[in-house]
Amino acid sequence: MESLHYPQFDPEHSHVHVALFRGVTNAAALKSRIIAASTAEGEFGEKEREAVNFAFIDARLITSKLHLETATFQAILAESQGGLRTRTVHSEILYNLNPTHNITEAIRRYGVSENNTDVLVVRIGSQDLVPSVVEERMKEVVSGNLVPLSELQDVTDWSSVKKYYKLNNDPAVKEASKDLKKERVIVDNIVVSSVAMKSVMQ
Amino acid sequence: MAATTRLLTSSVSEYLPTYSGSFDPRQKVYKGFLTPDSAPILLKHRFKKGYRHATLDTTLTKARVAGEARALLKCLRAGVNVPGVRMVDASEGLLGIEWIDGQSVKKLLPSGAQEEEEGDTPQVADVELSLESFNISIGEEVLVANVKIVIEYGVDDLMQLIGTELAKMHLADIIHGDLTTSNMMLRRTSAEDAGPELVLIDFGLSYHSTLIEDKAVDLYVLERAFASTHPDSEPMFTSVLAAYAKRMGKEWPVLRRRLDDGEMSIFSGRIMVLMAMVISSS
Repeated sequence: MESLHYPQFDPEHSHVHVALFRGVTNAAALKSRIIAASTAEGEFGEKEREAVNFAFIDARLITSKLHLETATFQAILAESQGGLRTRTVHSEILYNLNPTHNITEAIRRYGVSENNTDVLVVRIGSQDLVPSVVEERMKEVVSGNLVPLSELQDVTDWSSVKKYYKLNNDPAVKEASKDLKKERVIVDNIVVSSVAMKSVMQ
Repeated sequence: MAATTRLLTSSVSEYLPTYSGSFDPRQKVYKGFLTPDSAPILLKHRFKKGYRHATLDTTLTKARVAGEARALLKCLRAGVNVPGVRMVDASEGLLGIEWIDGQSVKKLLPSGAQEEEEGDTPQVADVELSLESFNISIGEEVLVANVKIVIEYGVDDLMQLIGTELAKMHLADIIHGDLTTSNMMLRRTSAEDAGPELVLIDFGLSYHSTLIEDKAVDLYVLERAFASTHPDSEPMFTSVLAAYAKRMGKEWPVLRRRLDDGEMSIFSGRIMVLMAMVISSS
């Protein structure tokens, strides 16, 4: 798990913890648990919501660490200005990742789904949140192997990314199609830029 | 204190020397970091203008930040080398873009006004820094070093890079609106065998247009900029046009005609409009 600090935000949401899990076996159960938690009532509901108070992201659609960081940064920025388009700062990350303005689609595509084996888990919190505690909580809800974030490069499904962002007909991507490494750099830059400017997209 | 304010106060040096060639009183430029160990980004802040009505100011600022970001994305998708977008806070007028580690073309070419400029900007230190990143030994005199770097790539090669990049941009129907040699940067590419890369910057005045005339005006503005900043620029601009023509293909003959016969009559009108745009956006 990696922890990031954004000094420009207020202490209550200035710290971000990110972890990549591979070989995840409970994706389907996790998904139903998140859905159930959102409507559960009483003390049990509170507890469940706290237990799954993370963003669970399909790691195959993330092109780089910068890609995820950009979506997270813009989500915290929206929260700090009272401009969230979705219910929580964590779901806002999923919304930012999706090229359209459709929230259901964003959650379906970028959120954890039944057959997911590679899952990115993000927690935005205050400076009082102890990283080791966060890591323990992540391990409690996700059954899988916690691996270094650098393994993300083996997980990315570039053809899905290109499909969702409609990049296949773009001159930039076509031109670089012979050079796989170069093409990925270009796709990553376009995707990161799109996420960064989502708030001003038409 | 707003997040944006804090980001800006934590950011290093305002009015970066590298970009001082395109000093713009309507916005401030910073080098900043979103997290302490991330890559640097360039922050362009269109600050609040006290002389403008608050509502109008917000609307205009938002529209301009959005416009610049959209133009950059469009260029990226069209394969034009431009900085990627890294963060946008339209309500505060803040745009964060990829930091380009390179040198402005203006400083790479011999300039008639070199001495005058060095008086008011800390150019020397900056040039040394950039040259180091190009792995070139620094000559005793900055001017000599500048010429050296150009000789390595060849002025003609550089002009061809410019022409090709401009053609790619115009083929995507994006008009830059403020083409000068200080709005172009040369940087080394990460790939070892590849040559340097020309990056177009500052899309603050850009817009979308399919009109041949708008593209011709863009080139004309650049020609004037060449003529006024670099002595004996004619052969340089000719080779820019040659590479541009090659890339533009069948759009070129019409554009060429417009550029030739239009110079004064047609353009004077368009230039007035351009100037009016510059004035109104201040």
